[in-house]
Amino acid sequence: MHPDDRPLSRAQRLALTAASFLLVAVASMALGPLISGSGWWWLCAFIAAGTMFGGSGLRALRVPGSLVPLGELVILLLLLTLVFGGGTSFALIVPTADTFPLFGDLFDGAQRTIQQQAVPAIAVPALSFVLALGVGVLAICVDVLVQTVRMPALAAAPALVPILIPGFIIESGAEVWALVFSAAAYLLLLRVDVRVRRRANLAGGDDDERAATVVPPARVPAASGLATTLGLTTVGILVATVLAASTPSISTSLLLGTGSQGAIFGRGVTPFIDLGRDLRRPEPRPAFHYFARDNDRPYFTLLTLDRFEGAAWGVTESPVDADNTVDALPLPDGLDGEVEAKEHPIDIVVDEVRTTWLPLPYPTRSVEGLSGSWFWDPGALTVRSVDTDTGGQRYRATWLDRQPTPAQLRSARPTGGDDLAPYLALPDDVPSIISETADTVTAAEATPYDAAVAIQSYLRSDRFEYSTEAPVEEGYDGGGFEVIAKFLENKSGYCVHFASTMAVLAREAGIPSRISVGYTQGTATQERVGGVQRIEVDSHDLHAWPELYFEGVGWVPFEPTPGRGSVPDYSRPGAGEAAETPTPTPGASSGAPSGRPELDPDRGLGASAGGSVGVDGWWWRGGIVVLLAVVVLIAPAVLRAAQRSGRLRRIRRGERPADAAWDELVASARDLGVRLDATATPRGAAVALAEREGFREPAAAAALLVLRDAVELERYGPGRHADEASVARLAGALSTARAALAVGEPLAGRYRAVLVPRSLVDRVRPAFGERTATGA
Amino acid sequence: MSEAVAVTGGPGAGSSIMGIDEVGALAAGIVANVETVIAGKRDAVTASLTVLLAEGHLLIEDVPGVGKTMLAKALARSVDATVSRIQFTPDLLPSDVTGVSVFDQSSRRFEFKRGPVFANLVIGDEINRASPKTQSALLECMEERQVTADGTTYRLDAPFTVVATQNPVEMEGTYPLPEAQRDRFMARISMGYPASADELAMLSTRETKSPLDDLSAVVSLEELRSMIEAVQHVFTSQPVKEYAVDLARATRDDRQLRLGASPRATLQLVRAAKAHAAMHGRDFVLPDDIDALAVPVLAHRLVPTSRALGAHDRDAGPLIDAIVRRIVGETPVPVGSARRN
Repeated sequence: MHPDDRPLSRAQRLALTAASFLLVAVASMALGPLISGSGWWWLCAFIAAGTMFGGSGLRALRVPGSLVPLGELVILLLLLTLVFGGGTSFALIVPTADTFPLFGDLFDGAQRTIQQQAVPAIAVPALSFVLALGVGVLAICVDVLVQTVRMPALAAAPALVPILIPGFIIESGAEVWALVFSAAAYLLLLRVDVRVRRRANLAGGDDDERAATVVPPARVPAASGLATTLGLTTVGILVATVLAASTPSISTSLLLGTGSQGAIFGRGVTPFIDLGRDLRRPEPRPAFHYFARDNDRPYFTLLTLDRFEGAAWGVTESPVDADNTVDALPLPDGLDGEVEAKEHPIDIVVDEVRTTWLPLPYPTRSVEGLSGSWFWDPGALTVRSVDTDTGGQRYRATWLDRQPTPAQLRSARPTGGDDLAPYLALPDDVPSIISETADTVTAAEATPYDAAVAIQSYLRSDRFEYSTEAPVEEGYDGGGFEVIAKFLENKSGYCVHFASTMAVLAREAGIPSRISVGYTQGTATQERVGGVQRIEVDSHDLHAWPELYFEGVGWVPFEPTPGRGSVPDYSRPGAGEAAETPTPTPGASSGAPSGRPELDPDRGLGASAGGSVGVDGWWWRGGIVVLLAVVVLIAPAVLRAAQRSGRLRRIRRGERPADAAWDELVASARDLGVRLDATATPRGAAVALAEREGFREPAAAAALLVLRDAVELERYGPGRHADEASVARLAGALSTARAALAVGEPLAGRYRAVLVPRSLVDRVRPAFGERTATGA
Repeated sequence: MSEAVAVTGGPGAGSSIMGIDEVGALAAGIVANVETVIAGKRDAVTASLTVLLAEGHLLIEDVPGVGKTMLAKALARSVDATVSRIQFTPDLLPSDVTGVSVFDQSSRRFEFKRGPVFANLVIGDEINRASPKTQSALLECMEERQVTADGTTYRLDAPFTVVATQNPVEMEGTYPLPEAQRDRFMARISMGYPASADELAMLSTRETKSPLDDLSAVVSLEELRSMIEAVQHVFTSQPVKEYAVDLARATRDDRQLRLGASPRATLQLVRAAKAHAAMHGRDFVLPDDIDALAVPVLAHRLVPTSRALGAHDRDAGPLIDAIVRRIVGETPVPVGSARRN
């Protein structure tokens, strides 16, 4: 069973490699439900093919079997460099000193993207890298098991890894067809192996003449092997199913952390709830930072909610138009030449936020320096990507800073036309408290602008309290109508509630409205680069705010949330005169949040949720994976030890003791890689064993003869019962012979004998071996 | 080392008529004695002694001049048995083999003159030269161990073993034994050419006289009979019997074979294995005994398909031997308990 024992032909090795590759490729398909698209799979298949067929090539070049896995690792590294190394590689595939930090970054990025993305995740480069690396390592494991160790049956263990993973993450686990195809690929691998093995046995038998003459018999003794294989596969599938079913606690949130980690609106699902969760995290995570002149502190919009999905706010999902590239965005709707507007460049560097929506100030005229494909949505002018995310992006956005005067807003023409109708739509069954509140607040106001300012003032008044916890405790988190009604009763909530309430009240008052979700202006640092200031934005700056439409100016943001962000000058009551409301200045809002409630809900609450659980979760997940790996690794050794102690008990009790002793001796020899066929006669096996170095010692040879004669007599001799003396002799001979077996075996070989006992595999396929025909 | 392990006797000595160790020692003596005449042919010598102890008949098939007759004669001399030799020719009559009734003038009645078949060891040289009629007369004696002439049956003395030789090269004017008759022989062996060293030694020792002249018996006829009796008492366990049956069945199902082994072949395989075990000082049969005898005992009874013959590379040795070895290799050895017996 050593790789050199039965040299396989090139074609046979290639057949085994192809079957192994098929198994890896098919098994990795099981990850499909977790990752969107199929590009990642082709990449993984490419990496697996390169690694495995590269290894096959190495074997064809007669590289020693033990070095092939190392060679395959090198090939894997070269391929990863080719695909992911980018500019750091030398001659495209050779990694340089810069490549490894890049890989490290990709690895970190993958961890973050796994934390932040929802299922199915977008195969961003970092995720693809980790997938490719994982599948590559898997391919090497399978290849080593199939070709070097020659135990293809064990290839099921690595192949189960990608099949099991979906079970941990999504409730439904891997798809059934993936399991079926994987099982089929596994069977095919075993089938190919049986064929190869039989040919090798016939060709490499005792005398070579037979190779030319002997045709394999029509009766294939593989039936038992196939049955065993089917059994093994069934057990594997059962284990996978049971694992997936019995571990609901580590299902969705624990491994990918879509819940507690606050995926940033991965699929546009319940952004409000996610936003709330993020706000409640105890420790903020840096989202991005930007460089801007002193007074250029816009809000950064990620996405805009502009319509109702039932009774909740939702995004208008429109298909991406490939012409809408971000090098030139259109002017925002409704802006005419009278409003003062200046373009300011802002350099943005993304730190940790991973989302397919690009944080941009509204309105932006152009974006430069992005990698990947990014397109703007008509209407909201939000920018999103189809193939990458914000990870590692560094770009310059040209922000159009509009500075409307209250007069301009007040004189805005009444809105009309079908274009804006969707922004005025309200469901039929609006709770009465909403319309009553709208009437009360806006009744006295003459113009839409005044009504908007009144609504903002109303929400910012002392009657309302900012709290990220109250809505959760009271059960009205989110942005639906029921929630708004409850919020108007309880008067406690956070930006989501303020923003959606103001938007709804505005619509009630006839002002087109929508809600933007994104980041407030962030926290200024002392760092200045070339006259611009560096400003940090973290996850606690996540925010939602209403935008109202005024003809001639366009969509204008308001800030109804007390204590968050900054109130635009034009929206202050009595704007144009001295500011009277103690609104926080942008600078103050960051460093010392003076305007915030004493119990700062943004930063102080929710210590039990969020990050700490995330860290624990990672430990958990890691622990479970490590535990599983350890169980898989030591399971053969434990089984083998149990078998040995069972046989020793049989010897002591005198239940066919010689048989037990002989079986144990043969199994020990097999574990060490001695090629003994399972069907060899004791005499034939003894002849083969006597060749070993350890049995040159007369005592060892005598022990071997004692064992052999005892088993022959017990199996084939006239029935004589073993007495205690002979049992003791057997036990002694067995330990002597086992010690002799190990003589001359390198330490690695002994460890392998313990950890990967080959005798166990032999038991699985007793019909495949050819008996050594050494007669008496 | 390995050879020692393979050859040294197994455990136990039975309490049969003759001690099994004694059987082994005597057998070793016979083999050594014969080997003084025929050097380097241990397998052939062992096989022929095995057949003798198992009361079977031996067919030696080889080209002329390799010592077929010499082997038979040396074996006969070593055991102090009566020997007769029949040179088969096309004009040999059945009565020339079995004997003939002649009219005795003095007693005025027919008297049976015993033919050369009345001996412990009958050497039939070039049996394929005889007419089928004569061949079948001999073969009947072999099977029945008796001769019937004019209504009277004469039993042949035990032990009775025919060692027939056959020349496979010369085909003209010969009558090759049909399959049914080859089945009567327990084993077929071929001598093969001697190694060059043995041939060189032979040249120097046989310049002046026949080496057979110096050969004396090492075992008396009585001892030989005791040995044969001891062999009959060798124990055959159920797994070994099953193994022999499995092998025979495998030959019947093999797709390279047109004719498989007969039940008689199974019987003779086990009998020969008993002799083989006893010769090695063991009072029970091992699967290894069966393995060692599978080719000599089974090969001459099997007929390969013409397709297998066509595909066979002649340089690779006899096809049928390869097939038997393959079947032996593929048939698993039962490991069951002897106590099931």
